[in-house]
Amino acid sequence: MAKVEIASLSKRYGENFVVKDLSIEIPQGEFLVLLGPSGCGKTTTLRMIAGFVEPSSGQITLGGRDVTTLPPWKRNTGLVFQSYALFPHLTVDENVAFGLEMRKLPAAERRENVAEALRLVRLEGFGERLPRQLSGGQQQRVALARALAFRPDVLLLDEPLSNLDAKLREEVRVEIRELQQKLGLTTVMVTHDQDEALSMADRLVVMSQGEVRQIGTQRDLYERPADRFVAGFVGRSNFLAGQCEGDGAFISAGGLRMACTAGVRGKGTLALRPEAVSVGPEAAHLDNSFEGVVEYISYLGSVLDVRVRLAPQDRIIVQIANRSGEVLPKMGDTLKVGWPATSGRVFAEES
Amino acid sequence: MKARDSLPLAFLRSACVNGGVTAGETREASLGKGDDATAQSHGFPSPRVPSERSAGSDSGGDARPATPYDFSRKYWAFAIPAVIAILAVIVFPWLFTLYMSTQDWKIGGGSAFIGWSNYAILFQDERFLEAVGRTFWFTALAVVLPVILGVAAAVVFHREFPFRGVLRTVFTMPMMATPVAVALVWTMMFHPQLGVLNYLLSLIGIPPQAWVYDPSTVIPTLVMIEVWQWTPLVMLIVLGGLASLPPEPYESAIIDGANAWHLFRHITLPLVWPYVMIAVMLRTIDALKVFDNIFVITQGGPGTASETMNIFLYLQAFQFYKLGYASALVVVFFIIIVLLSLLLLYARQRSKWNA
Repeated sequence: MAKVEIASLSKRYGENFVVKDLSIEIPQGEFLVLLGPSGCGKTTTLRMIAGFVEPSSGQITLGGRDVTTLPPWKRNTGLVFQSYALFPHLTVDENVAFGLEMRKLPAAERRENVAEALRLVRLEGFGERLPRQLSGGQQQRVALARALAFRPDVLLLDEPLSNLDAKLREEVRVEIRELQQKLGLTTVMVTHDQDEALSMADRLVVMSQGEVRQIGTQRDLYERPADRFVAGFVGRSNFLAGQCEGDGAFISAGGLRMACTAGVRGKGTLALRPEAVSVGPEAAHLDNSFEGVVEYISYLGSVLDVRVRLAPQDRIIVQIANRSGEVLPKMGDTLKVGWPATSGRVFAEES
Repeated sequence: MKARDSLPLAFLRSACVNGGVTAGETREASLGKGDDATAQSHGFPSPRVPSERSAGSDSGGDARPATPYDFSRKYWAFAIPAVIAILAVIVFPWLFTLYMSTQDWKIGGGSAFIGWSNYAILFQDERFLEAVGRTFWFTALAVVLPVILGVAAAVVFHREFPFRGVLRTVFTMPMMATPVAVALVWTMMFHPQLGVLNYLLSLIGIPPQAWVYDPSTVIPTLVMIEVWQWTPLVMLIVLGGLASLPPEPYESAIIDGANAWHLFRHITLPLVWPYVMIAVMLRTIDALKVFDNIFVITQGGPGTASETMNIFLYLQAFQFYKLGYASALVVVFFIIIVLLSLLLLYARQRSKWNA
């Protein structure tokens, strides 16, 4: 158990920054998720913490110990790979015990730790099996048990759920999270799946092209995205191109005047969450109120996605809850839509 | 309605089985022409779909129809060339050898049935028993040494280093050389006075060796040639195995503090073991039947010091013209090779982790 400090960490290949100037403190027991599209540098960051990739500059401290130049085996981190990386020729017991043998634990203690780790991941009684005799979810849990068996200071998870099917993934998410909280393990997980990230993390780091876009809780990212990328990557957003007048007023490309949070004067984008938009009579009293034509409807069960054309250049998707008994809009209908000024966030054009 | 729905389905299946109709045409036939599909499917050449399938399963085409086997006699004609070839080059020689082994058959001397006598004599023939022992000794060395060196070479060549491709090619060259030519070159190199090997030894102050001209060193020397020639084969096989290993278990083990030896001993070796077993099997069969090198270099000499089973066999058959006796030897040799192969196949099956 330890806290992790990362100070202006960078990895460069030639002129190309894979990770650029990443700084973050992870307090003990926190579940931090590195989130971003593939190639954003999240895995490289994790591998730098594990010690497989040498940083070009910066410093990594685990529990007050500078490990920046230490080899992987001197860092006491537990790593779970996307592909599980189990030894196919060893039984579950032997797989879990491998790290303990390498660390020269006495046999009795070893057996105890293996049993304890397998109990934690609810795989008692599977010790004699070979990995290929287990399901994907079970293999994943063996990998987790192996990473936990030697009581690491930090647990590192590299897309641990990507090889599981959707249903199982949701179960294992909860399992890992509960286990992590129970053990109070400082954990860093890498994923490109925002659902996974949002459901498991204490705090998230959104990365893109090697740069940190935003660090914060789920709520920070969703309600106060730092830039257009975060607004689009975490949850969904409508983006309307246009001109910001500076004083909380935005003129869309279609010429509509919209009230918004203060933004920088000049060309910009207004981001608007689909579920922040109200429809029908209640829309009339809001700061922004428009009439539009329903162009397209996706019936998704619990909700409907309705594409509304406000002006020829301005189309937004509105998410409507599907409450029983309500009359649903049809294509071609004219629909009143509206949203409060605080829901519209303006981002200046990215240079 | 139900019956009508299922008919186009049956048609679809039969089209799949016969493979003659593209998807587009099928859809046109079954959907576009509606009821006419019935007539269509009847007109189609023998849709071999069991009737209860087409009638019962309107739940979809997920269950593929079982391939209809046709054991009509007309298809047997296709097997005839293969049967003739096998009879001619395997079965007949085999049976004829068995027959010969029960005969006292000398070239130019006629033959007479003598039952098991050839075998009885064989197992009392000291020269034969020595040849068997020598063959096993030679085989053991010619398997173990190339396998150890080949695995080591594979591990080395699995890493990235400058000129790896060129060096790997150079390393595999002995395998490509013509066997008899190679044997002749080695014979020249072994020459006690004029050979290059003794010259090289003299440079570092080692007295000249007799190599293949001394009964005590002839087998190790012949093994040396075998090692030189066949280590690359083992390397190639194991290298293929190494290339198929996933990288993650290694990283996982490195985190656990495994050093290079641990990685090799606990991960690499167990994982490539099935490949090593293939190499062992090929080497064993090859070494047991070694003939060309020994025959060209020593003809079994000095004395009988390098007379393996194959050389012994050759001498009996083509020097002493004792065909019956040699045939009995072939039968025994065959049984030995089959037993060893089965043993090795069993060992390989046991060693498989990815079965």
